[in-house]
Amino acid sequence: MTKESAQSAAEEDQQAQSKKALKKQQKEAEKAAKKAEKQAKVAAEQQSTEEDDFAKDRYGVSALVQSQQKLDRKLVRVQDLTPEKADQLIWLRARVHTSRAKGKQCFLVLRQQQFNVQALVAVGDRASKQMVKFAANITKESIVDVEAAVRKVEQKIESCSQQDVELHVERIFVISQAEARLPLQLEDAVRPDGEGEEESRATVNQDTRLDNRVIDLRTTTSQAVFRLQSGVCQLFRDTLTKKGFVEIQTPKIISAASEGGANVFTVSYFKTSAYLAQSPQLYKQMCICADFDKVFCVGPVFRAEDSNTHRHLTEFVGLDIEMAFNYHYHEVIESITDTMVQIFKGLRDNFQTEIQTVNKQFPSEPFKFLEPTLRLEYTEGVAMLREAGVEMGDEDDLSTPNEKLLGRLVKEKYDTDFYVLDKYPLAVRPFYTMPDPHNPKYSNSYDMFMRGEEILSGAQRVHDAQLLTERAQHHQIDLEKIKSYIDSFRYGAPPHAGGGIGLERVCMLYLGLHNVRQTSMFPRDPKRLTP
Amino acid sequence: GKRRAPCLPLFQGFLSGTEQGRCYLCGFKLWVPVLQNNQGPPLVGLITIACHLVKEAKRSNLLGESAEGRAVVQQWLEYRVTRLDGCTKEDSKTILKELNIHLQDNVYLAGNHFTLADTLMYYGIHPLIVDLTVQEKEQYLNVARWFDHIQHIPSLRHHLPPVVVLRNRIYTSRHH
Repeated sequence: MTKESAQSAAEEDQQAQSKKALKKQQKEAEKAAKKAEKQAKVAAEQQSTEEDDFAKDRYGVSALVQSQQKLDRKLVRVQDLTPEKADQLIWLRARVHTSRAKGKQCFLVLRQQQFNVQALVAVGDRASKQMVKFAANITKESIVDVEAAVRKVEQKIESCSQQDVELHVERIFVISQAEARLPLQLEDAVRPDGEGEEESRATVNQDTRLDNRVIDLRTTTSQAVFRLQSGVCQLFRDTLTKKGFVEIQTPKIISAASEGGANVFTVSYFKTSAYLAQSPQLYKQMCICADFDKVFCVGPVFRAEDSNTHRHLTEFVGLDIEMAFNYHYHEVIESITDTMVQIFKGLRDNFQTEIQTVNKQFPSEPFKFLEPTLRLEYTEGVAMLREAGVEMGDEDDLSTPNEKLLGRLVKEKYDTDFYVLDKYPLAVRPFYTMPDPHNPKYSNSYDMFMRGEEILSGAQRVHDAQLLTERAQHHQIDLEKIKSYIDSFRYGAPPHAGGGIGLERVCMLYLGLHNVRQTSMFPRDPKRLTP
Repeated sequence: GKRRAPCLPLFQGFLSGTEQGRCYLCGFKLWVPVLQNNQGPPLVGLITIACHLVKEAKRSNLLGESAEGRAVVQQWLEYRVTRLDGCTKEDSKTILKELNIHLQDNVYLAGNHFTLADTLMYYGIHPLIVDLTVQEKEQYLNVARWFDHIQHIPSLRHHLPPVVVLRNRIYTSRHH
């Protein structure tokens, strides 16, 4: 190669190189230009978004409410949203039950306990596109503050409790945001089991509910159940107070097992141990001996029974009654049955909404009772069972299936879901039960049943220290352990009787439910200690 | 295998008014009734013996009223021996279901007349019915009705324990 050709070759190379470089540069410049264009576009869009969002002050996530200010703003309850409030501008705080976007609109269902109402966020002069989008993205169960105009609707909104109005939202702020993934869906939790199977929709099983009780308790059904339960307590107290009873509180940490040795929880008590009370029995009676005449108490009862059934809990609320009587323990039975009847009437007359709400998910027959309450003797009950083909001895206790069968036979014959079975055989009752004066095989004791299941066990108590000692010895009970109990009857004791019911069981049976955990807020059983 | 309570003596008693001990059970693996006959070889088998006894007692109407009726009676007798005898717990539920459907439109097993089919099925099914709960008897309502009717026929039940069938339904509403 000559110098010249080399030179020209080098030049050519350089030229080629610069051509390449030029191309590369051009490409890069194009890329940069495109990127800049894009960025400018996005920025412009954002600006335009912000500029176009005329409603940006009317929605958003609020700062944490740390009591920064005292707002003089009245919040209306969802249950008060009726046509009377039509065209009013109101504020309310509720949960977002559902939110669904549809084009330029977002439909929300806002829920407060058992009540819910439809709300609408629509693009218009009050709401922007961005606001509608925001509303549609609010997670379920979030708590929101909403300012809205109440509007009457032409067609009833069947799916809501407030059927005649809907809200047209002007402002919506999230006060407390819920996490996106809920452990259970409330819609599934209120779905009747049958419907779930038919339409292949999900229902929620009991364990999941109980593990996430806080959410499960928000359902309309749960709200209704526990409001009714609160009513039972209220009616129990009011009825007995009107009858002249005094409410007492009894200790739950005790030194000796009150009912029997086996089913009692032991707790460590400093250097020794103590027990959790299986019933307030002993203390109720001591109050009678202390001249309180008629007492009742509402408190926890602890039974360490390793039963995993639909009707047993290890801790439940006992409603207990004890009463001195004049001449016959039937005076006490009448008092107790009248109290129960007042409770049934009170529930029937004041809690129909709650009963209907529960029945929507768990259909059942309404609870029936007679006035005066039906009272059958044990021997009559046995005769009815024998007539139906059951074989049992005169002094046999009733098994659970036989109790249920007898309940059915009684319902068929007398048309009542509530009755008393009186004069149980002495052999199957606790040692402190007063024997029948005319027939030593029987006793002055009684059980009460709702829908064929036992809710109360009661009796006239032995109020004589000597007889009590004999009965205890007969049952082979260590007298040392019940010395203080026997001593209470040594200084004059009136004849008395009583009984106790379980709050959860009574609610379960009144509503026709099938598992006592449905009527216990945070149930305790051999397998469950939380929440 | 389990030995069924001998029903042929009961049946003989029904036909003649008194129990007669001419039947005995014999067999190696299967307990099969044998009737010692003065006039020839012994008769073997429940159906054979039962039909023979009926004819001997001049109660041939118990075998059916028409050709079709007689065929139906024989079908039920076969049902007794092949399906009911020695059935498992699961089978018994199926049998009760089938019977319940059949007895919805029939007063007796073979239609409107009492026949040998009712007798042998009654004896055969008695141990099942005796153990049913009140609720189950309501579930198999037609079987219970038929059974109650048959067990009341004079001289039929003998010493077999009567089964209580309630007059009114008590499980009317949703089960609680």
